[in-house]
Amino acid sequence: MANAPLIGLYGPDDALAWEADGPRSVGEFLSHVADLADALPDCPSVLNLFSSRYEFLVGFAAAIVRGQVTLLPQSRAPQTLRRIAAENGDCYALTDRDESIEGLASVTLPLRRSRPSRSVPVPQIPLHQLVAVAFTSGSTGQPTPNRKTWGALVSVALATGSRFGLKAGGRRTVVATVPHQHMFGLEASVMLPIQHGLAMHAGRPLFPEDVRTALEDVGGTTVLVTTPLHLRACVMAGVKLPSIEMIVSATSPLPRELAREAEERFHAPVNEIFGFAEAGSVASRRTVVTDEWQMLDGVCLAGEDPSWSVEAAYLSRPVRFPDRIAVTGQGRFRVLGRAEDEINIAGHRASLGDLTQKLLEVDGVQDGAFFLPETGHPLTRLTAVVVAPGKTREDIQRALRWSIDPAFLPRPLLLVPRLPRNETGKLPREALRRLMEEHSEQESPHGL
Amino acid sequence: MSSQPLEREVATLIVQTLKLKVDPSTIQPEAALFGDGLGLDSIDALELSLAIAQTYGYQIKSSDPEIKAMFSSLRALARAIEKNRTK
Repeated sequence: MANAPLIGLYGPDDALAWEADGPRSVGEFLSHVADLADALPDCPSVLNLFSSRYEFLVGFAAAIVRGQVTLLPQSRAPQTLRRIAAENGDCYALTDRDESIEGLASVTLPLRRSRPSRSVPVPQIPLHQLVAVAFTSGSTGQPTPNRKTWGALVSVALATGSRFGLKAGGRRTVVATVPHQHMFGLEASVMLPIQHGLAMHAGRPLFPEDVRTALEDVGGTTVLVTTPLHLRACVMAGVKLPSIEMIVSATSPLPRELAREAEERFHAPVNEIFGFAEAGSVASRRTVVTDEWQMLDGVCLAGEDPSWSVEAAYLSRPVRFPDRIAVTGQGRFRVLGRAEDEINIAGHRASLGDLTQKLLEVDGVQDGAFFLPETGHPLTRLTAVVVAPGKTREDIQRALRWSIDPAFLPRPLLLVPRLPRNETGKLPREALRRLMEEHSEQESPHGL
Repeated sequence: MSSQPLEREVATLIVQTLKLKVDPSTIQPEAALFGDGLGLDSIDALELSLAIAQTYGYQIKSSDPEIKAMFSSLRALARAIEKNRTK
C-alpha cells in the first residue's frame, strides 16, 4: 500500500509555522500532533473549527493519524454545523478555548503546550485514506459532501508547487488571507507549505495593515495566498508589502487590471488558481499574461463541447466543470461563464436554488427568490424579493442569519406583495430587474 | 444622547460605502453595526476600512487594541477615527 509523509522535507531548524509568539519547529509540531492524537475521542469524524491556521493543522494532522475524517462545513452558520454533525453520526468539534457548539462534544488545545519531550517520526499516511470532506451547497438545499483522500491533497499540493517553481527552505513563509476550512485555503495555505518544507503564518490577516504586519513578522520571503477582494484592498490602501516572492489568488475571477496593479506595486508575479470543491485546484494562469488556464500536471480535460470534465488519478471518477468552458489547446481552456444557478460572493459559492430554499423555510415567508443583480461591481451582494405579509425585513434577515452564511445575506431584501412569476411559475430575470427598479424608485430611504 | 457631527459624517460614509438602504440619520449612535444590528460582516469591515483610510487617512488594523470596540457602534467607530485620523 502506497504512503506519503505528513510533511515534506524540512531542515532541523526550519520553522514549520509562525504563531503570534514566535516560530514552531518541525519537532514541536510533530510532538503537538502526537499529544493531541492521544487525547482525541474515538469518533469517525471531526469538525475542525480552530481559528488559528497552525492549530487547525495540528488538529487536521492528529485526526489523520487517528484515522478520523475532518469535516469542512461550507459556513459557520449554527444550523449548517448542526446539520452536518447530525448527518455524520458520531462526531465532535475542535474549538477555540472560548467557543463551543451546542449539542456537540468539544475538544480544545491546551493554552500552554508542552515542549517536545520525545522525538516523533514523521507519520506516513496511506494515499487512499479518506482525510477530509468539504461540503458545498447543493441545489436541493442539502450540503453536498466532496470526499478528499490524502493522495488527492498531496497530488494537488505537489502539482501546484511545481507549476509555480516553489523550492523548499530559504526561509519562505506562506501568509494567507483565506480561511483554512475552505477547500482552496486547505490546499494553498496548509497543504502547499507543509508538502514543500515551507513555513505557514498561523493568522488570517484581514485589513491591508494586517497583511503588511504579518509579512513583516515572518521575515524572509513570502508567498501571499489571497483573493481578488483582499488583493484589491491592499492595492487601494497603498500599503507597502515587503519581500513577496509570489501572490496566489483564487475563489473568484481576478480582473486583469487589478492583477497588473498588484504586480507593479508589490513587485511579484500574481498567479491565479482555478478550482472547485469537487475536484480541488485544477489549473492556473498568470493573469497579466493570458486569460487561458493551463491544467496542472496530472490533471486532464475529458469530454467534448459543451460538456467537459476533469480527470486525475486521485479522482475516483471524472468531475464535471461547474462553468462553461472552451478548450483552446492541449490542457488549456477559457472560462465562458458560470453555470446559471451558481454564484460566488467573496469566495463563498452557493446555488441560488439552495439559498431560495432556505428563504422559503423561514416562518411567514409565502414566496420569495434570491438573485444576483448585474452591476459589474466586484462586491455586488445578493438581492432577495420576499412575500411575507405581517413580517418585517428584520424578522426575515434574523432568521436567514441563522441558516445561511453572512456573505449571502440579501442586501437589499425587498418586501413585495407578490412575485412577477410567468405562466409557468418561473421568474424571468427581466421581470425581477423591473421589479427591483420600481421598488427602489418608490422606496423611501427610511424604509429599513 | 445627541449625536456628534463626526458621527453623522461616518454614518453617511457607512451607508454610501456599503450601499445600504438606510437613511444615515436613522443609525443609532449606540446600536450594533455588525451581527444583529445593521448586519455587517467582515467583507463590509474590509470595505469600510478602505473608505476610512481614504477619507481620514487612518489605516485600521486588527491589532488595534480597540478593534472590537471600534466596530461595535457608530459612536465607537467615530471616536476611533477622531483619535487616529491624519486628515
